[in-house]
Amino acid sequence: MSKVNRRDFLKFIGAGGAGSIAGFLYGESTKKTVEYLVPQVVPPEDYSPGIATWYNTVCNQCSAGCGIMVRTREGRAKKIEGNPAHPINEGRLCPRGQAGLNNLYNPDRVRTPLKRTGERGSGEFEAVSWDQALGEVTGILYALKDQQNSERVRLLTGPTTGHLNQLYATFMAAYGSPHYQQYVFDDLAALREASKRVFGDGAIQYFDLENADYVLSFGADYLANWLSPVHYSLAYGNLRQGGPKRGTCVQIEPRMSLSGASADQWFPARPGTEILVALAIANAIVENHYNGSDRAAWRTALRNYRPKDVAAATGLAEIQLIGLAKRMASAENPVAISGGPAITGDNGVATSLAVLALNYLAGSFGRGVTLKNAPEFGTGERPLASFADMLVLRDAMSGGDVDALLISETNPVYTMPQSSRFADALAQTPTIIALSSFIDDTSAMADFILPTDSYLEAWGDDVPEFGTRASIASIQQPVVERLYDTKSSGHIMLELARRIGGELTVALPNANMEEYIRNAWRQSYKDDNNFDQFWRDLLEAGVSGRRVSRDDLNPIPASASAALRREIEASAAVDSTEHAFYLQPYLTTYGDGSAANLPWIQELPDPLTSVVYNSWVELNPQTAEELGIREGDVLALRTEHGSLEAPAFVYPGIRPDVVAMPIGQGHKHYGRYADNRGANPLDLLGTDTDEASGALVWAAVGVEVTKTGRRVRVVKLDGVTRTLGRQILHPPEGSGHGSESGHG
Amino acid sequence: MSISVAEALKPFKKPFYIVLVFLLAFILGAWANYNFRSDRTPEQPINFSHRIHASDNGIPCMYCHSYADRTPSAGVPSVAKCMGCHKSIATDTPGIAKLTAYWVEQQPIPWIKVYDVPDFVVFTHKRHIKAGLECQTCHGPVETMERITRVSSLRMPWCVNCHTEREVEHGRDCWTCHK
Repeated sequence: MSKVNRRDFLKFIGAGGAGSIAGFLYGESTKKTVEYLVPQVVPPEDYSPGIATWYNTVCNQCSAGCGIMVRTREGRAKKIEGNPAHPINEGRLCPRGQAGLNNLYNPDRVRTPLKRTGERGSGEFEAVSWDQALGEVTGILYALKDQQNSERVRLLTGPTTGHLNQLYATFMAAYGSPHYQQYVFDDLAALREASKRVFGDGAIQYFDLENADYVLSFGADYLANWLSPVHYSLAYGNLRQGGPKRGTCVQIEPRMSLSGASADQWFPARPGTEILVALAIANAIVENHYNGSDRAAWRTALRNYRPKDVAAATGLAEIQLIGLAKRMASAENPVAISGGPAITGDNGVATSLAVLALNYLAGSFGRGVTLKNAPEFGTGERPLASFADMLVLRDAMSGGDVDALLISETNPVYTMPQSSRFADALAQTPTIIALSSFIDDTSAMADFILPTDSYLEAWGDDVPEFGTRASIASIQQPVVERLYDTKSSGHIMLELARRIGGELTVALPNANMEEYIRNAWRQSYKDDNNFDQFWRDLLEAGVSGRRVSRDDLNPIPASASAALRREIEASAAVDSTEHAFYLQPYLTTYGDGSAANLPWIQELPDPLTSVVYNSWVELNPQTAEELGIREGDVLALRTEHGSLEAPAFVYPGIRPDVVAMPIGQGHKHYGRYADNRGANPLDLLGTDTDEASGALVWAAVGVEVTKTGRRVRVVKLDGVTRTLGRQILHPPEGSGHGSESGHG
Repeated sequence: MSISVAEALKPFKKPFYIVLVFLLAFILGAWANYNFRSDRTPEQPINFSHRIHASDNGIPCMYCHSYADRTPSAGVPSVAKCMGCHKSIATDTPGIAKLTAYWVEQQPIPWIKVYDVPDFVVFTHKRHIKAGLECQTCHGPVETMERITRVSSLRMPWCVNCHTEREVEHGRDCWTCHK
């Protein structure tokens, strides 16, 4: 080594200094971030840290009423699973049920009572105390009651069953207003109306898919969003693999839904002609297979619907209709069901009746189609408002007949088409009080928002309408302490009753919802001595009731068939308006749009297209080619009532004359995950109703499709929706299907 | 004939020595950090002494860490448990004054975690206590420590060595700890 001169010496000093600093910093970088070990101030009594506690309660994400088990640790809800002992879902749960945690922990939840400061609909509010909010609301309601203007107060809620429904009804009755209504956009109004006409009761029958060997579904997407999706998915599993013989499923719908994709046969009948398909099959059954004593009468009733006469209008071949009739008639346990686009057109009720007739003629009454027993829990009728009723409410509001509107957990500004001008009518209502967990399109119009608990924080119960034959009731109990300064809807009503006083306090003397629910159950529980034990068992089990066998059910009245035949004779056949393009808004994972603010649901790919996060317009490859449209081209959809833009998605499972769009996106106010994302296809609709039920017509509507010239990238999981000979799907041997088709 | 290191190193140029010095300094820096600025013995919000509690006063571990044999986590004692004794004991010391302040405010004490396994490891105290291990096997002679210090690496070889030595059933199965 040569001599170290001054310059080298400085270099060594520099290298040594830099090296030691680098070494020191390296040491720092390997350290973990500081974690804290935070003790409780006072030790908990009801749990041990690290040990999970499971609570049974009931899901509120849709009206099906599945039983759920919530896993909690250290007082926080961590995971939701299905309750294995619950007769509806038997331990299974759908994605929306799983995403219930997103509802509880949603950062957009309203955390304190709010009072409007800005313009109506601007979404500007100030936080106020519960005392002030309830005080002011009580002042308004008390004054109206005092001036004998009780009936100028209205209560509009979302789907509500059980004792909360009873509480609302009691409140409004004691207050002196007859105007308590529930508005449920995706309620199957046509099935209710058909049931009322044939069986004299608006309760929807139980369709026994589980024990069926042949299911003919007219548009009912029973695997995803028809009545009770989890229950019917279970039934489907049993139908396919539960017995010695594999059951057959046939789906008749213009756009292939999840159930269509799972069926053995899929027939895309022309939108609005599902009734003709049903009646033609019925006709063929009567002519060739049926031999009941009323055969002659049925032949007369169905004489105009010979398969060869109606085949052309439906788009199905005569031989197909006759074949379906043969299979239906020869099956041991056939069931025909209707739903979705088949019963949301302007002939929805007539279609439901035609499908019931099909069941009758195939011998399914009392077997595949059964009446449910009257519920043991007398919580009263649900005052369901049809779309027509909502238009009456709109007229009352814009006509100045409504002074105060209480609105709870329903979002008509979103689910009613813009052409109904419901928002304008709301704007003219002097006082709007919203009971809501979120600022949504409707509660953004409110003067007061009273924040409600998540269903995982509140007491309640549920009497499921669909899904089982048996009458059961589920209990809803808080699984966590409430996160924010919120109250349950029921508690708010009890509190208002107490503050307004008079008859209301007499009718609703309970201090809180827990007490109210417990007392209500005590009244329906016959054996008084053991109630405490019963209550403990109930909270543990989460559900009360049992499944019953077919023999225990109310028999179908003999008069039903005659009533059904009269209805078929009276019903006008079909809407003859043909359109170049039919619009089909369809229900998907977002439900009626209420799940759009749940991030897990937003990021869940659509089961058939695999698209995430946005709206899209499905159209047939043939149509796309004719119009020169590729995936991602932004299309403008226009009707006389409105227009919107959304990217195209080329989807083979759809008729060439139908464009379909999922419902659920396009919210103006619904929190960070839903705001201004995609478009709402309901805004393309007019206010036409099915006259028989008053339900909104949202299937078989004409629409214009044009290209805007812009392109976006559709966010989806699938690179390409075909297998392109990659042998990803192996068709069963001898099935004769090429490997080129198939999705995924 | 003399042997000179300088002779052997002659072919190397000065930049090599600069890099060598840098590397030696790097190791020195890292060593200094490891020894003098370690996170094994972090300063806690209150100068709590295990020696005074466990040794001088002979309080068993499980009196305070009461969940150790029942749950995955041993459990740090609640503020209420501390106050159970310190309402009347040693109330004049600065540490207890701090404790009392937390209690009056009803605030938890933000202890700094000394023993921490990553989130992808499922560790449970209960199993290890049930297997008859002493607390000291992993945590060292805590009863002699003024301030708690980490004595084990808590890295996977350390876990697996012990599982192997003791012939733990399924002790080397991935899913025993990573699930």
